[in-house]
Amino acid sequence: MGSLKEYIIMRALLVIPTVFILLTLVFFILRILPGDPIVAMLGQKVPPEVLEKLRAELGLNKPIWEQYIDYLSHVIRGDLGRSMIWGRRPVIEEIMDRFPATLELTIFSFAISVFLGITTGSIAAFRRGSKIDTGMRLYSIIAYTLFIPWFGMLLQMLFGVYLDLLPIGGRIDPGLEPPHITGLYVLDSILTMHWRSLESALAHLILPSLTLGIVLSGAYTRLVRNNLIEVLNQDFIRAYRARGVRNRKIAFHAMKNAFIPIITLMGLQFAILLAGAVLTETTFSWPGIGTFLLERIQYRDYTSVQGVIVFYALFVAMISLIVDVIYALLDPRVRY
Amino acid sequence: MPDKRLSVLLLALALILAGCAAEKKVSEKTTPKPSKEIVIGVTDKITELDPANAYDFYTWEVLNNIMGGLMRYKPGTTQLEPYLAESYEIKNNGTVYIFHLRKDLKFADGTPCTAYDVVRSIKRVMKIQGDPSWLVTDFVKDVKALDKYTVEFDLKKPVSYFLALVATPPYFPVSPKYDPDKIDPDQTAGGVGPYRIVKWVRDQELILEANPYFFEKPKTDRIVIRFYKDATTLRLALQRGDVDIAWRTLSPVDIMTLKKDPNVKVYEVPGAFIRYLVLNLNMSPTNNKLVRQAIAYAINRTDIAERVYMGTVEPLYSLIPKGMWSHLDVFKKYGDGNIEKARELLKKAGYDEHHKLKLVLWWTPTHYGDTEKDLAQVIKEQLEKTGVIEVQLKSAEWSTFVDYERKGVMMMSLLGWYPDYLDPDDYMTPFLKSGSNKWLGNGYSNPKMDEILEKAATTTDIKERTKLYEEAQKILAEDVPIIPLVQGKLFVVAKKNIKGIELDPTMILRYWTLEKIEQ
Repeated sequence: MGSLKEYIIMRALLVIPTVFILLTLVFFILRILPGDPIVAMLGQKVPPEVLEKLRAELGLNKPIWEQYIDYLSHVIRGDLGRSMIWGRRPVIEEIMDRFPATLELTIFSFAISVFLGITTGSIAAFRRGSKIDTGMRLYSIIAYTLFIPWFGMLLQMLFGVYLDLLPIGGRIDPGLEPPHITGLYVLDSILTMHWRSLESALAHLILPSLTLGIVLSGAYTRLVRNNLIEVLNQDFIRAYRARGVRNRKIAFHAMKNAFIPIITLMGLQFAILLAGAVLTETTFSWPGIGTFLLERIQYRDYTSVQGVIVFYALFVAMISLIVDVIYALLDPRVRY
Repeated sequence: MPDKRLSVLLLALALILAGCAAEKKVSEKTTPKPSKEIVIGVTDKITELDPANAYDFYTWEVLNNIMGGLMRYKPGTTQLEPYLAESYEIKNNGTVYIFHLRKDLKFADGTPCTAYDVVRSIKRVMKIQGDPSWLVTDFVKDVKALDKYTVEFDLKKPVSYFLALVATPPYFPVSPKYDPDKIDPDQTAGGVGPYRIVKWVRDQELILEANPYFFEKPKTDRIVIRFYKDATTLRLALQRGDVDIAWRTLSPVDIMTLKKDPNVKVYEVPGAFIRYLVLNLNMSPTNNKLVRQAIAYAINRTDIAERVYMGTVEPLYSLIPKGMWSHLDVFKKYGDGNIEKARELLKKAGYDEHHKLKLVLWWTPTHYGDTEKDLAQVIKEQLEKTGVIEVQLKSAEWSTFVDYERKGVMMMSLLGWYPDYLDPDDYMTPFLKSGSNKWLGNGYSNPKMDEILEKAATTTDIKERTKLYEEAQKILAEDVPIIPLVQGKLFVVAKKNIKGIELDPTMILRYWTLEKIEQ
């Protein structure tokens, strides 16, 4: 396992240049766009002198490379700076206010998408060529092409308005927030045994995570089906069958072998999940980081946008690292 | 060995899935709300709870409910009345204002609020120099406490609308808990107002409770604000009963549907919000007055109000909105969709079917809602109906748009305006006075106009001011640097059992007059 440790360290080190390049790109692209946070907020209202003064306060009047070096030197020290608009709060505070909401949504959607994808995919593979197979493949295509806001609204109408079963927006009913431990309401309310909060948090999670989960499950269905079919055609399966091994056991071995590429997909999907979360968050008024990012891009809140990007990059890098490790553990042939 | 690992993984997966399955079972409705509570849904957000830096419409509404000023608008009217003050005096030709405070003022935690607190709060705004601080610093030279209950403002020059300024949040006294030197965006201590904040979760909810130390008791003890990201979700939330009142901002389509819904009532708010078209005087061909007037002839406001906004706005024929004193329908002389007249003027300017007038119209998709593209399209159609004009549409998202506006690179652009204080000055000076209108980038400057506006801003006699603004509006209609289009109405949609919604051109919903009748 020594080599694995080395590999992990290498991978972790590689994250640094990745984030650096990303950050540089974002930094300059943001500044190439016309307008700046001060103009966006106050362009219509305040006299030009005040505008200039406010820009100077934020250092926006300095040459761009100076701003860049300033910013980098802060980031290296772990300081993401302060937001440039609306109260100038520290960026990390803005992020930590919202990230737990996104993480919670992402975890549940991820679980739902994996569950639905693997179930439908394996059913399709084992019933290959049947009507059920066609149905499942159809499901995967439809799910994959669903437009999140549209599909979300459909679920809102159905479960929220007509059936009146589930809340359609927000994270929890007002006043029921559990005490803050992790910021994940479901976990926090379990840890602090606030059962009403748990109930409310789960009820609020169903529609958004189902929306995002179903849309993302389509990719798994296809991959699981194709991989499983491939594995089922391999010699060792035939050998099992020849030896009269029970079907259930064969299915288990086949699944295990088909699982490896799916793990890779899971890692990739997690990044897509974060992107999809932006749309889901807007549709369900989920107070997460996706909508925050969108809002701040519109107002050219440079520091906040850069901060979120760094944060996302680190997060995605961490997930893909975890995926690689799982991969290594699962497949003894993988050596680093 | 690998088998074991796999089973652990599968087990973990199974657990997660079990969690999902369990989750699906939770479907009972949440417990009924206590009757003394009203839930309001909005798509706006609170940016920061510090009046020294907050400068957006919705945050100002919240500040108006958890704080108060020396003056306020009498609910339901545009009249100013003393609020935290008992009375006021104006001295030295309108350069000195003295306010006598009520003696029973207390902050939400019971600390008394005196003239020294008022002075501290306003000096704090002047020191922090946040976004809206110009509402203080442009006018006030000094503010001091003469004694425990008397505040004196010394102004730089006479300001005829100073009482309206005093009613804005930068003049509100704030609790001593606010950071004296820095912006305090998350401070929930508030000021002297009917409500105090019990809980605030950013972008999620705000829970208010009656301030027990305030001299007026609110009708409803507890107000909950829920923040939605999307107008459609807000509408569904109202229909589901998650909120009692849906406030800013539902889309025109949703409002039309809700008007037919027997379970809710739609209230119209006479808005002080205006939309207008800016013409660039530094650019050919809009530097030609004939061209500008021709455009004014061709625009059809009723058509815009109906087709774009489904009747949720009113045509506007001046920059000063209807309902405000001194308003004159000065653009009526051009009529609506007066194609013949437009063609006539354009002919004079040298344009005809063979030599068409080419115009560029800019609009922004990210600031005025989904209807904006329709607005641009309809105006294009109206102008092209003359047969002599060709319009090219261009769009830029908000930050870019404002930047271009200031730089004066757009020929025609669509903008809107929410007032800072309710006075004709706030609808004229920023647009028409040279220097003050730099941000429009259209290069309009007329010495006569400047003189009138300067005089109107420093005169205290309202009759004389009315005359001056009427004159200014007439010049506006003649010069046409800006074409007013429509005046916004806002809509509050509430359940039938909600009473006490009092709205006026301030467009501020006063939570303390709201009441829920139990059925």
